Amino acid sequence: MSTLLHRRNTVRNVNELVASAPTTSSQLTNDHRASLSARFRAVNTSTHRRLDAWMVEQAGKPYDPFHWTPQIARRVLGTNALRRINARNDLSISQAVRDELADHLLRSTAGYTQSGSLSYWLSGLSHASLGLVCAEAVTWSTTTYEVLQGLEHPWQLAQSDAYYDVSASRTSLRGRRDIVIKNDDQRVVLRLRAGSPGKSSGPGLRCDLTIDALASPTGTAASRFIGVWPDAGVCLSVDGTMADLRAGARDLVRTAVVQQRGQMLKAA
Amino acid sequence: MAMTILAPNSPLSVVEALRGDKTKRPVSDFSSASGLRAQLEDGIYSIMGKASPVSPLVVRSSSLRQSHPTSDIQQASLSLFRGILVTQVLRLLSIGIEVSDPFSEALSAWRCEKSGTEIIRLFNQLDKDQVARLEADVNAHSSTLKRSLGTVNAAWSPRSCVRSSQRFAGGHVLLFDVIDLMVGSTVSELASVALFDVTTSPLNAGAERTMRYHALLQTLKTSVVPLRTSIFSSATSELWTSDVDYELLSRSVDEVLAVLSDMWKYV
Repeated sequence: MSTLLHRRNTVRNVNELVASAPTTSSQLTNDHRASLSARFRAVNTSTHRRLDAWMVEQAGKPYDPFHWTPQIARRVLGTNALRRINARNDLSISQAVRDELADHLLRSTAGYTQSGSLSYWLSGLSHASLGLVCAEAVTWSTTTYEVLQGLEHPWQLAQSDAYYDVSASRTSLRGRRDIVIKNDDQRVVLRLRAGSPGKSSGPGLRCDLTIDALASPTGTAASRFIGVWPDAGVCLSVDGTMADLRAGARDLVRTAVVQQRGQMLKAA
Repeated sequence: MAMTILAPNSPLSVVEALRGDKTKRPVSDFSSASGLRAQLEDGIYSIMGKASPVSPLVVRSSSLRQSHPTSDIQQASLSLFRGILVTQVLRLLSIGIEVSDPFSEALSAWRCEKSGTEIIRLFNQLDKDQVARLEADVNAHSSTLKRSLGTVNAAWSPRSCVRSSQRFAGGHVLLFDVIDLMVGSTVSELASVALFDVTTSPLNAGAERTMRYHALLQTLKTSVVPLRTSIFSSATSELWTSDVDYELLSRSVDEVLAVLSDMWKYV
């Protein structure tokens, strides 16, 4: 049975979702990991495969090669700016974003950047384009900050997204996560996304839940995984049950199969 | 002969007008949103019934403006580019960036944001005369905007190009909106959110409807009624601002339903 819940994105609803998270959560064992690896191994790939919730939501549709845009950069810059604010209360959001941008540009000037990195891309932008990137990051940061301000339980910004390399199957999984809330012994994870949720957003959320559990050394799933869409004023949540974890893993494998079929058709 | 003299400094900046008197702010209204949502759902049902259109009906703030049929397509596209570029200038100004060459800087920012898209390709097809005219236009409008806007304090949580989307009637009706600039917080006890839209056209009845639509979408999205909504014309330097109450929002619901009713006739 699906544990998918749909709520309006209000301070009260988000706090209720956090407070009512299940007290128990499932744990992935080595057997589960081995089984997932075997399933991915069965889907041949000529190159290294990277999968995430977005690809699952897009049903494995081929995507354009990655390139930085202000909309992509805003999440990295905005979240790092919030970390700065956490460390120093006197910083305003726009000042924190500017400091973050300055750090990236400094890294680039010092020669510590690689082609394709965010710092490298930023260093090639005009003054006005940097301003636009800054404006996007400030907007993202402020939106996230408003969500954080409403939380009644202790929270922390996620150190990084969840990454899991599936052994012996040339597959990497990447799960998004923005805020981690510690509610007693339970862990609730919040993920923010722009736009509005579609019909496949629930499966996407389950994939992020699964990848988050796989990336955990103990394999413990978050008791609840909440997706927040501030633009649409909506939040969805799934619980860390074994059924949801299995569904998430199944969707990831299916996406790999669809991608493989697409590649074979292209080659033919 | 009539003559207009512009004072070097506006007595009251747009930002000051937006923020208003801090001591006179009402308590945040968290309860009106559900009523408005129900009003919209009921109204949509009375228009569409149980019908399921093949593609959803989409309402944007532009749907509520008065439609002026234009025979000059080139002029229409120039107005579109002018609006886009002046909005880019506003985004830069809102975070305290010094804009010395509005056209070039706005264009650079816009190209960075929309590189490789159809609208950039359309822009690239403009001839030299059109670009020169656009540059003069954007510089003039930006100068008016810069003079009137004032300084946006970072503590007011400014965010630009804030998007909203709401689904109704099981996803058969979509309401979309983009607010050019928003200040204030939705989690404070007192209402503090002010919405700001900039247009390069003179203000008219359509601008009033747009103001109300921004307030409605913001209320539906956050379930918190904003403090005020405003629109500024960089053509005339006029600012219209209005405090948001239930009556204003309810009026916007009626306007959205009227637009939907018109759309439904052609489905």
